[in-house]
Amino acid sequence: MGQSPRDTLARMLLMRRFEEMVITLARAHKLGRQHLAIGNEATGAAALMQLAPGDLIYTTHRNHGHMIARGVDPGKALAEILGRAGGLCGGKGGTWHMTDPSLGFQSTSAMVGGSIGLSVGGGFALKHKKTGNVAVALFGDGALDEGIAYEALNIASLYALPVLFLCENNSKEGEAQTSRLATKELVAVPKALKIPCTRVDGGDPEAVALAVETALAHVRLGAGPYFLEAQLVRWPGSHQIVHEFTTGVTDVAAAWDDAKASNEHAAWHRTDPILRTARTLIARGILTRDDVTALDNEAAVIIAKARAFAEASPYPKPEAALTGAFVPA
Amino acid sequence: MPQKSFAVAMIDALAHSLKTDPNVVVIGAHSFLSDRGLKPEDERALWDAFPDRLIDPPTSEGVCTSLVTGAAMAGMRPFLNYGTATFAYEAFNQIMSEAANVHSMSGGQLRAPLTLHMYAGIRGGGAGQHSSSPQAMYANAAGLELVLPACPADAQGLLRSAIKSDNPTVVITHTRLLSMTGDVPDGDHTVPFGKARIAREGRDVTIVATSLMVREAEKAAETLAKDGIEAEVVDPRTIVPLDVETICASVRKTGRLVTVDEGNALCSIGSEISAQVAEHAFDALKAPIVRVARPPVPIAFSPPLEAHVTPNADKIVAAARKAAQPR
Repeated sequence: MGQSPRDTLARMLLMRRFEEMVITLARAHKLGRQHLAIGNEATGAAALMQLAPGDLIYTTHRNHGHMIARGVDPGKALAEILGRAGGLCGGKGGTWHMTDPSLGFQSTSAMVGGSIGLSVGGGFALKHKKTGNVAVALFGDGALDEGIAYEALNIASLYALPVLFLCENNSKEGEAQTSRLATKELVAVPKALKIPCTRVDGGDPEAVALAVETALAHVRLGAGPYFLEAQLVRWPGSHQIVHEFTTGVTDVAAAWDDAKASNEHAAWHRTDPILRTARTLIARGILTRDDVTALDNEAAVIIAKARAFAEASPYPKPEAALTGAFVPA
Repeated sequence: MPQKSFAVAMIDALAHSLKTDPNVVVIGAHSFLSDRGLKPEDERALWDAFPDRLIDPPTSEGVCTSLVTGAAMAGMRPFLNYGTATFAYEAFNQIMSEAANVHSMSGGQLRAPLTLHMYAGIRGGGAGQHSSSPQAMYANAAGLELVLPACPADAQGLLRSAIKSDNPTVVITHTRLLSMTGDVPDGDHTVPFGKARIAREGRDVTIVATSLMVREAEKAAETLAKDGIEAEVVDPRTIVPLDVETICASVRKTGRLVTVDEGNALCSIGSEISAQVAEHAFDALKAPIVRVARPPVPIAFSPPLEAHVTPNADKIVAAARKAAQPR
């Protein structure tokens, strides 16, 4: 596949500016409990940009980044987070349950382990229909605490289902660890069930893209599931119920301007995948500083338009609450 | 009497249980104790006092429920906190098939004295997966006691009884009750199961409400009183066992019944109370029973949609006026 480094960084910037807008809007509209994907951009963009039409995606409460990475309309996504009629789900799903089936998104479950279980069903259907497509399960390391994870991995392996299990591991051992596996090697579990596994630096979009390409080739060949662990650095603000700009508003100039990089958020600036990627691409001569600034400005413009759309979208009529439990007869 | 919050009252019940019974163990302690309004030094003291009995498990509701059931059968008296009530669905088999059946299936030889606690209710932005009021499902299990505390004193007293009970007991706390404050009797306060509380006396209409809806019913009663309608608010406190006698006695006095239940109206706590009154006090009814509950739809995220289906004082007032109409 191989999307260009420029396109990948552009998508990562869009994801970042989207989540920053979520912080702004959530504070303005007094909404909380969003689960932001700040720091997960390299993995989300590199993985989801290379999926094909017809591939199915199963994600979690931390889904905003995946939506934007795959190309969902950011205006409709912001409107959904605000509970507006113009949102992806007409305001019924909200931050936790956004979905866009036109781009392959199936259920967006906020139940820990939910996406893993459902992805196996998607894989089963795709295999049955012989479409050559894959089902992609996105989940955090905590999902492996749930019994459903073991059951899903086992049956995917047993039936050689076309499923890519993509674990975004944001639990560094010792600090803010949310998963409690007796083994420190997440991949030990799928490995024991005969699923091929790879671990990748989730902050490096090129490494992720390559790993996902390899994994998808395996799965599309009909060789069964594949498990990829992307190791992420947890964004220090990720635990908040009402979010703040814990590490400041991203300034891409921190990628080259030491004065901007060495403020109180210096530790984050070293690991922030956006800045890391910008530094790498500039050092290699693939992009200039001006290119990065221009990409960032484009992202900011798209997100500003998205905000305008979302805030102009009306709330659904209250009576809409009473419809939609069942498919109309 | 000391004033305390609902959350702290429950923690005090847990602390009394831990202190008086070495077999009490708390699984899921962190989300029960932390950020619940306890003074930081008091929380630290609890963790320090019971380092082996306050446990923060993996996100594994299924096996945690098996663990507390197995441990209860083997002589312990565990308390399991799931956090949000929907997380307990991960453990439905273990609750409904294992814990609920232990005593009966063994011909009375075994018992499973465990307490399962969860935070439920429409709480604001919970959408489809974090807004459940699953009480009726647990009432339907046969073999589970079901407790719905509605005020701080009952939170402490009923939780204490739940832990002392030799049966598996489900305790459901509405998230929006946690910060409610009220008088709680000093010391190791307990409230027996199966005894309803008359939250407000009245002669014109009986409102049977549970959990957060008791507070809404009390608000409604204030409004109704201004119109000269005196509502009696009855809080059953426990659904299994249910104090049918007190409910029917109130209906015999007022002749009119409104049930208020945040759960889905279909096969709800309100349905059961209506059926009990129809069976045991039909002759006393002067008007059809009116039920206030959520309509049978998944809860939507969008604030106006959520508000539209959430039972509240205004809806109770309307229901009570309907029930109190002269015929």
